[in-house]
Amino acid sequence: MSKKDLASVTADLSALALGMPTQRPATLAPVAAPAPADAPAAKAATRPKATVEPEPVTQFSLSLRKELRKELANLARDADMTMRAFVLLALKDKGLSVRDDDLVDLRRERH
Amino acid sequence: MNLFSYFDIFIGTKVHRNIATYERGFGVSIITIATTKGGAGKTTLARLILARSALAGLKTAAIDADFNHTLTDWITTAAKHPITVRHEVDETKIVPAVTQLHETHDVVVIDTAGAPSQATIFAIGCADIVLVPIAPSSADIVEGIKTVNLIKSASQMLRREVTTRVVLTAVQPGTNIAEHVEKEVGKAGLPVLKTRLHRLVAFQEMSFTGIPPTTGIAGVQCSNFLEDIEALGGLPETTKLAS
Repeated sequence: MSKKDLASVTADLSALALGMPTQRPATLAPVAAPAPADAPAAKAATRPKATVEPEPVTQFSLSLRKELRKELANLARDADMTMRAFVLLALKDKGLSVRDDDLVDLRRERH
Repeated sequence: MNLFSYFDIFIGTKVHRNIATYERGFGVSIITIATTKGGAGKTTLARLILARSALAGLKTAAIDADFNHTLTDWITTAAKHPITVRHEVDETKIVPAVTQLHETHDVVVIDTAGAPSQATIFAIGCADIVLVPIAPSSADIVEGIKTVNLIKSASQMLRREVTTRVVLTAVQPGTNIAEHVEKEVGKAGLPVLKTRLHRLVAFQEMSFTGIPPTTGIAGVQCSNFLEDIEALGGLPETTKLAS
């Protein structure tokens, strides 16, 4: 039996786990107390919001050994996610600033 | 106070457990029971391991990651031997709970929900052995295969092999369905534990009485089941467990 390291389990399996449903009870984000009406922040909040330009998306291709690509496809399939999402999640663990909307399956949007 | 009285006090202490662990060359055993199909016999397997381990005097703990908290209810109401239990469905708390319990116990059993979940993934990651029960039904085999594949993926990501065994439960020997299940499981190349657990009243009675079977066919099957796990290095020597 190989030696296990409990300390690294969460980090090692987070990419795989993220493709699975959560069992956590739904929690609400804490609601901030309302600021007084004359507070500067409140006045600023009444100003119309600036429109946020969507960040441009760029293509990126990756060459892999055929066997490695097959392995990646299998891992992604088992985790019920796209290879793209699977790779992004792995990179997120390494510190890449991946957001939830980066993981959306773009193929489904075309339908 | 004679020498034997001192020995009695010594038994069960942390020092005694550490010496016993050293002698058997064996660390804490973490056994996860998982399949994405409900009703396959996960909680029954958990009960058998927990009750017989506790009966043998091992410090035994359970983590119940199932929403239905069936195992927790059984331990708190029916089980006759001391078993620590924690009901934990929050996946972020599975690894910390295992880390904590494995410091103070000889055996930790994790019972998971009968559906795919993040908690199951982390429970697999903590395990020395994962047992995948399969009852005689098509859905059980399909979900069993999926679960074994999931464990393989987890093994790759953990960069260690997670020992996995399918346990055939609720077996009705001599029937076509039993034969068919054996054939299908073999065709799928699933690693199967030698012992089959039959559909026996004693296993069902245990859910009410809290007493694991130690005699009769159920007792023999239970002992064989534990010996199989022991042979895989997943439990301390069960000479006492099997008695």
